[in-house]
Amino acid sequence: MSEVKEVKPKRELPLSRIMVNEQTAQVYAEAWAASEKGEPIGWSTAIFPQELCETFGVPLVYPENNAASISAKKLGEPFIEHAEGHMRYPINICSYARLNLGMADKIIEPGWEKVEPAMPVPTFLCLANNSCTQLMKWYENLSRNLNIPIFFMDCLYNYDEEEPAPHKIKYLKKQLENNIKKMEVLFNKKFDWDKFLEVQKRSQINRKLFNEIVALNARKPSPMNGFDLFNYMSCLVLCRGKASTTRIFEQLKREIEAHIQNGTSTYGSTPEAYRVHWEGIACWPNLGFNLKTLRKYGVNCVMNGYVTAWDVAYEPGDLEGMAKAYQCSSTNSFSTSSIMDMRTKSIEAFGCEGMLCHVNRSCKLMTFHIFVGRDMIEEKAKIPSTNFDGDQSDTRVFSEAQFETRLQGLVEIMKANKEAEL
Amino acid sequence: MKKIETLLDRFAFVANKPSAVMKVYLEEGKKIVGCFPVYTPQPLITASGMIPMGIWGGQITPTVAGKYNPIFTCSIMRSCLEYGMTGVYKGMSAVMMPMLCDTFRGMSSSWRAGVKEIPLIAFIHPQNRLDSGALDFMIEEYKSVLKRLEALSGVQVTNASLNAAIDLYNRKNAVMQTFNEVANDHLDIITPTVRHHVMKSATFLEVSETIQLVGELIALLKAQPIHKWTGHKLILTGITAEPEALLSLFEENKIAVVGDDLAQESRQYRTAYPAGEMAFERLASQWLNIKGCSMAYEEDSQSRGKMLVDMAKKQDADCIAVCLMRFCDVEEYDYPYISKATENAGLYSLCLEIDQSTQDNGQSRTKIQSYAEMAASLV
Amino acid sequence: MYVLGIDIGSTASKAVAMTMDKKIYAKAVVSHGTGAIGPKQVYEKILSESKLEKSELKRILVTGYGRFVFDDADSQKSEISCHAKGVLYLSPDVRTIIDIGGQDVKAILLNDKGMITNFVMNDKCAAGTGRFLDNMAKVLNVKTHELGALSEHATEVVNISNTCTVFAESEVISQLSKNVSVENLIAGIHQSVAKRVSSLVYRNGIVKEVALSGGVALNKGVVKALSEALKLEIIVHEDCQFSGALGAALFALEEIGQK
Repeated sequence: MSEVKEVKPKRELPLSRIMVNEQTAQVYAEAWAASEKGEPIGWSTAIFPQELCETFGVPLVYPENNAASISAKKLGEPFIEHAEGHMRYPINICSYARLNLGMADKIIEPGWEKVEPAMPVPTFLCLANNSCTQLMKWYENLSRNLNIPIFFMDCLYNYDEEEPAPHKIKYLKKQLENNIKKMEVLFNKKFDWDKFLEVQKRSQINRKLFNEIVALNARKPSPMNGFDLFNYMSCLVLCRGKASTTRIFEQLKREIEAHIQNGTSTYGSTPEAYRVHWEGIACWPNLGFNLKTLRKYGVNCVMNGYVTAWDVAYEPGDLEGMAKAYQCSSTNSFSTSSIMDMRTKSIEAFGCEGMLCHVNRSCKLMTFHIFVGRDMIEEKAKIPSTNFDGDQSDTRVFSEAQFETRLQGLVEIMKANKEAEL
Repeated sequence: MKKIETLLDRFAFVANKPSAVMKVYLEEGKKIVGCFPVYTPQPLITASGMIPMGIWGGQITPTVAGKYNPIFTCSIMRSCLEYGMTGVYKGMSAVMMPMLCDTFRGMSSSWRAGVKEIPLIAFIHPQNRLDSGALDFMIEEYKSVLKRLEALSGVQVTNASLNAAIDLYNRKNAVMQTFNEVANDHLDIITPTVRHHVMKSATFLEVSETIQLVGELIALLKAQPIHKWTGHKLILTGITAEPEALLSLFEENKIAVVGDDLAQESRQYRTAYPAGEMAFERLASQWLNIKGCSMAYEEDSQSRGKMLVDMAKKQDADCIAVCLMRFCDVEEYDYPYISKATENAGLYSLCLEIDQSTQDNGQSRTKIQSYAEMAASLV
Repeated sequence: MYVLGIDIGSTASKAVAMTMDKKIYAKAVVSHGTGAIGPKQVYEKILSESKLEKSELKRILVTGYGRFVFDDADSQKSEISCHAKGVLYLSPDVRTIIDIGGQDVKAILLNDKGMITNFVMNDKCAAGTGRFLDNMAKVLNVKTHELGALSEHATEVVNISNTCTVFAESEVISQLSKNVSVENLIAGIHQSVAKRVSSLVYRNGIVKEVALSGGVALNKGVVKALSEALKLEIIVHEDCQFSGALGAALFALEEIGQK
């Protein structure tokens, strides 16, 4: 791919990004400190009601987020190999799971060489299956391999309605209550309902702020490279209920507003020729290549369906509302037609001219939605879409040549569409 | 023997030609509800006066299903969708689909997009089965399934009629378990293929017919002298052990199947509906009681491994063969620990790849033959 | 009198004639595997080169993918058993056998008595097999048997991340267009094979000594890469390609002994 010219904007990391890095470092540091003191420390799925542990003051780290970080640094391969080899996990299961299960087996060995960001050995697990059911099998394996308990929130798939039926919400609420009771026992602490209310309020402030930030990218041209959203998403994963996240988002918002005022963008100096909706998780190990290639064709993926997964909206104090919100949080928890309705709205709001879909080997469910939703998008949003093969962590299934060919194809259609409009 | 052969022919026919069986039911004016694997609340269908029939796809290479299914969908769901899209399931009043894995979550949308003429009744099992809210949820979920069934059949189901249907299914479960036990005294007659026919046909036949036919077979087998099997004995686990060409490899190598934990076979029959007055509570409790299944979250994470090893020891088997359906993630996540539990118990562990979209059994042939040679050399 | 062992693989057929006192009398290989031509050719070749008459062959045992389609065979046995037997004959201390054939990769574990205790085979996927190397050789416009020698001239190992044959081809082509040397690319391809194979070997467990057999074992580049991936020495006997046929001949002898 020697013909791809580097047009990276020559900028130092903005303050908001430095703050994100500091916050992430702080999360890991707190987890390690607890671990060294022999206190409880949990590994949690990305959309578990972390408000509970935040209230208890018990630190959590997030294997999905960790796997993404390790993969983006291209350091995941040895763990994946260990999982497939010694541990016998088939190559077809989620690569985050393979990476993390491989790592979980390595870190219990004395004197293992840390790969940063390194998570301490957990003493318990928090599992919510709203993103997928593979999470459930993955955590079952962690629990078996490490012999530790799981706090489980069974978030039901909304197979044919957007409003979960009352019996579903009731079950979710019951689980919230039961998990709080179980945590009180394991942590040997009373649950502080007043603090819980504060954490809930903070979570709502943060998610609203993030939504406002995302919405700013609807401007033409966008003040942000859409892929930047991936970088800030981690704040909601790791610190949804923390004031530090509020500070980061406020700073980010100021930065973006400044870009809007100055007519600049984090997309760089290349003009934004095409606005595209990205579907699916990023190909973390190939993120650099993808960005470079997108810029080469003047494509800005201004919005993607993944960043809104942490938009867990509820009224603070309303446990039932919270239960419902967690059941509806991940876009993966809805049927394809519901999701494509959301995508159509966001395509319109962000003025997207095409959709680029990551057929992610590791994420069966999102891929199903892409296959089934393709006709719906073309019919409802009336924009072209294209698929490419890839993976969130496993470099063995991404092909640079295929990505560029597919992207180029999409660009040619978008170009023809533009010319036809003129 | 003549009568046994006639019965076995019937099982073989039903197992291989479910569409012919469905045609007869339809001609008799009965309504059919297709049941995706596995743990569909079939007593609800029977109580509403309709017939539940298993949906297991077939040995085909799908073409049109590729529009709505990614290539890394397990072959069984791809062939089911293909059959749905090409009219093979035409005549079914509805299909019922449990949201047990990600592929099912996706399939519910694929089915709606691809098979518009057969309505989908989707439902979901609670996975946090020890939670105090799980039972109530399951009951309500089944009640909403029943509403859809009643609308199709026009039959009002009562607590008494549902209890009667549940009792019938308990009898079916019991008869299938008895067959498993009796079959092992007659491994000359009940070959792996024959065993599979009996098991699979039970997913297609009306419940009372299964009880009747399998009951007759058991009686006839018991009248035969006990056969002393001198070949190898093995346990099968996984979703399905198909095609028949795979099972005939066991026969060629003098290997008998003496027990199974296949989702298509015994796995669905080993948990009885508990006794009680309240029909919905009985129905829902059964799901909470299921043990050792890759599709049911369990706090005892060693449960399936222990169960398989116990089954092998009880039946004097020296091998547990994992029939690993390609791209079936729930089974793929269980494979490492099951194979290790097998080896730790001093048993052979065999992994056979199951893929409906290919006829090539070359690799399985080598694996099965090697196991037989290896086990023979170590005796 | 003699016995004959034939190994009909997916890409080559091998034959070994053995004396009654377990000595190799003759061996032959043809580059056609299962099908109409390969088995017939290798049979004719070993007979003509060794000047043996069919009547002098007391028993013929066949193994390999084509083991069911050879008419003159007296019996057949799986390639797992035959490879294990053959490798042990060549290198008696071996406990772990890795066999890389045209379409299969096998890892076999033996106990201290030389009996097989466990084995695994690759998924139905060409990654890591001889066929993968054949495809890559075609893309690079070299012969498969030249790969080993060429890789010795590599100055660095280019990372080939794709294991899917189609994607790996496009990756190799794109590297070629960047003027990466063919030798360095071959070293990368060998490393990719070694990674896939070592994962399978780890799955089965490793006990020293470790031997590599099958046609791919003749490729020194793969042996080197695999040895690095597994972090141990790998025994490669000069007759390793014949281990399946050898094992078949040895089983033929045993079968006569039993009769």
